[in-house]
Parts: sequence; structure tokens; C-alpha cells
Amino acid sequence: MGIVNTVNTAILDPMLGWLILAGFSALWVALGWYWGRDSEQLDDYVLAGRRVGLALGTATVMATWVTSNTTMAAPQLALQMGIWGMIGYSLGSVGLFMFAPLARRIRRLMPGGYTSGDFVRLRYGNVAWRVFLLISLFYSLGWLVSMGMAGGILIHALTGIPYHYGMTVILSICVGYTLLGGLRAVIGTDFIQALLILAGAVIIAILAISEIGLETIHASVLEERPELLNLLMPASIMFLFNNLLFGVGEIFHSNVWWSRAFAFREGVGFKAYVLAGILWAPIPIVAGFIALATPALGLNVPAADMVGPMVAAKILGTTGAVLVLIMVFAALSSSLDSLLAATSILIVEDIYRRHLKPGASAAEMRAATARIILGLGILTWILCAPRPTTLAELLYFTGAFVASTIWPIAAGLFWRRANTAGAVTGMILGSAAGLYSYFAVGFYVAALVGAAVSMTCVIAATLLKPAQFNFADLQEVHPAELKSLRGPGGSA
Amino acid sequence: MIISTTAFAWLIGIALVLTIATPIILLALLLRDWRKEELW
Repeated sequence: MGIVNTVNTAILDPMLGWLILAGFSALWVALGWYWGRDSEQLDDYVLAGRRVGLALGTATVMATWVTSNTTMAAPQLALQMGIWGMIGYSLGSVGLFMFAPLARRIRRLMPGGYTSGDFVRLRYGNVAWRVFLLISLFYSLGWLVSMGMAGGILIHALTGIPYHYGMTVILSICVGYTLLGGLRAVIGTDFIQALLILAGAVIIAILAISEIGLETIHASVLEERPELLNLLMPASIMFLFNNLLFGVGEIFHSNVWWSRAFAFREGVGFKAYVLAGILWAPIPIVAGFIALATPALGLNVPAADMVGPMVAAKILGTTGAVLVLIMVFAALSSSLDSLLAATSILIVEDIYRRHLKPGASAAEMRAATARIILGLGILTWILCAPRPTTLAELLYFTGAFVASTIWPIAAGLFWRRANTAGAVTGMILGSAAGLYSYFAVGFYVAALVGAAVSMTCVIAATLLKPAQFNFADLQEVHPAELKSLRGPGGSA
Repeated sequence: MIISTTAFAWLIGIALVLTIATPIILLALLLRDWRKEELW
């Protein structure tokens, strides 16, 4: 999740920027209220009633995976790493494909589950669960801070609106409609946001092709920066594999994707993740290739991460800049709302209910979720306010942590013999080795090393002392049923 | 090994066609789910 540099590249009048932000903010909040007006029950609020269909399911997976990075960093990568930069980015879709069978199995094994933490606790026990929670919450907070900061910085770069105002707007709007409508508001707005992102990317790409022409773009790059068209650029190929594993790790462990697996109607999860992967894959290429038009346009790019909006504005003028702002706002909102919803239920289920208040009823969990969404918004604002580059950079090395969860999760779901020792050592040693390689070698190997060490631990421990896990143990009593199971005044 | 103009055009062309088709696919699925009362 990249954070763009601050450069004086405001290409829109601030007043126009405010109008666009106000218009879309009002729309999201109104829709959030409308869709959430009947979400009084816990499952309706945090899992959209567990009946989400294929269309909304596919769109929410797609929109959530399109972060501000897909629209802003894909052109930057095309400018820095050429063809493989774009293709490497589009391989982020492999994580979605690979999660498809997991989503189906999660829904079948845990029809009443709430979080990825539930699975790790029931499958591997408390030690693995707490290690996993540390990794997952660290990653979620890093992603939230990174998105909040990206919002402030991008809105400032595009419109000149001060960082703190932009960051406050994006955070408060996402908190507002997620709070009002829960996961239904998130999924509903994700559908519209997906359409907006796609429309913006297509219009800019078509106009770039019709104004300049693909042959001219290719010829100009070949003349000025031929390395970008080189299919054997080693750094780019390394980036490609690391990005792939980082994406797989992010998706496999994060409750953002697990909560969708729980929320989708029976039979929808597999299809939604496969279709979302197919439809997401071309977006970084369509959004990214316009950066290759810079030589043909004779454009001087002061900061690589602003190349997308600069090319759009050069080709389309104000219309192009408006389109980019709408795309960026939609991309940021669709990721931030999902993170707020998924992290809040992770905290409520795995910390509040399992650590602090074991007898919490469904109604109490529903109320706690709303408070946590608000609290997460405030905490993110406090962390984003001083613009801490160090904190934002933390997300770069979460690659090591999240990649170390791939094997414990996948093996735990499908391999009866996978054991606790393998999962715990896999996550701890994988994270440590990945982190070491991050500093010793570079960011592009952290996820690769983390996943490899974790895989070795899981396989070796399982072969040495195979477990005999009963998958039926993953089914738990639903909080709404707890009351009826309690004795008079007793605990569950 | 430099990518040829034709391969480059094919790569961008296929990606663009798929991206154009995506909203149509999503809206068609939405209509289908709505008719079957399986939106959410």
C-alpha cells in the first residue's frame, strides 16, 4: 500500500474538489443509512445476514481489492518497471483465485463463524490464535493508517485541499456509513464504487489510445526508455513473485476476506472469488499503461507516484482530473469501509467476547461492534494526524508477517494432520525470517522468505507429529442461541 | 527481449475489453440475483 509523495501537483480547483467530495459523501452516507435501517440483528449488521448473492459478492471482492494503490501505484510501477510492473500488479488477482476454494470450505465448515480468529482458535488452540491475532490486528491497523494517510495526501495532491481536511473527510465518511449500515452498507456501496472505478479507468484508457495511439506510445517508449518494454527485466520478475505472495498472504489471513466468505450465500463464495479474480486482473494494466504515454506526451513527471493523474489531466484536462479524483475516492472508500467492518468484528468477537466478556449476547456484540467502528475511526485519525511516514512504512514489511500465515491457514483448512506446533512456529519463525530478509536483502524478498520458512515449519512439524483434527469441531454455538442454552442466571 | 508493438497492443486491448465487459457482467448478475430474490 503505497503512500504518495507530497508534490505541488494540484490539478483541480479546491472548490470543485470540495463539491465532488461533498456530493459523494452525502450519497454514501444516505445509502449506508438506507441499507442499514433493518440491520438490528448481529448477523444482519456484521455479516449482511449471511445471504449475499453473486453480483454483490463479486463486486465487493473486486472493489475492496482495488485500493488507491491500484489506481495510483499501477501507473507508477508501469513507469518504473515497465510491462512486468503492470503484469506483476495484476497478479494480485492470484490471491483471489486461490482463496476461492478456501471461501467455499470456510462456509461449509463454519456456517455460524464470524472471524478468521475463530478458525485459528478452534483449529490450533489459544497460543496460535493469539499469535495470529497480533499479526492480523497489526496488519489491519497498518492498512487503515496507510489508507487514511493516502486519502489525505491524494486529495491534497489532486485538489490542493489541506491534508488534514482530506484525511478527516475520507475517514469520517467511511466511519459514518459503515456505522449506520454495517456490512450491508459496505457491500452495497462497494458495488457502485466498483462501477465508478471501472468507468473512470476505461474512459481515461480509451481517450489515451485515441489521442496518442498504441503504436506511438510503444515507439516513444522504445526510443526513450526501452528497458520498460524488456520482458527479461530481473528486478521486475522478482517483484512479480513477491507481490503475488504478499497478495496471497494478505487475503488468506485477513478477516476482510473471511468475513465475506461467512457473509456470502451458500454456493456463492467460490464463484464470487474466481469471477472477481478474472475481472480484477486487467484493471492494473488498464490503469497502469497510461504511464507509458509520458514519453509520447513529452510529460515531465516530478514524482512517479503522481504519473496517473498527470497523464489523465494532460489528455483530458479538468475532466480527466475529476475522473481520477472520483476513482481515487471510490477506491479509498471501498477499502476503508471493508477494513473498518472486518476489523471491528475481529476485535469484538476475538477480544471483547473471547477475552473480556465471554457471556456477551448477540445484542451486546452488535452494540460493541458499532462502538469499535467509531473507536477505530478515531484511533486511525489520531495515528494519521501527524503524518507518520514510519508508521505508514510499517505496512511494507507486514509482507513478511502475512505471508507466514498462508501455510497455517491453508493447511489448517484442508489437512487434518496439520498441527499446532507447525502453525505457531510457522507464523513466528516465518515472520522473523521474512523481517530479517527485508532488512538484509530488500522489500522484494520479505514475503517470499516468510512464506518459505512458514511452509517448512508447517510441513516438518506435521510429518514429525501428525494431528488427527476433527473438522466438525469448527462448529460453535451461535451467540444468539447462547441465551436459550444458559441455565437461569448461569453462564453458557 | 523487447515486447513487439503487436503483442503490446494485444495485451492492452484484451485488458481493456475485459474491463469494459466487467460493469455489464456485474449489472447482468445483479439483475439475475434481483429476479431470483437473491441479492442479499
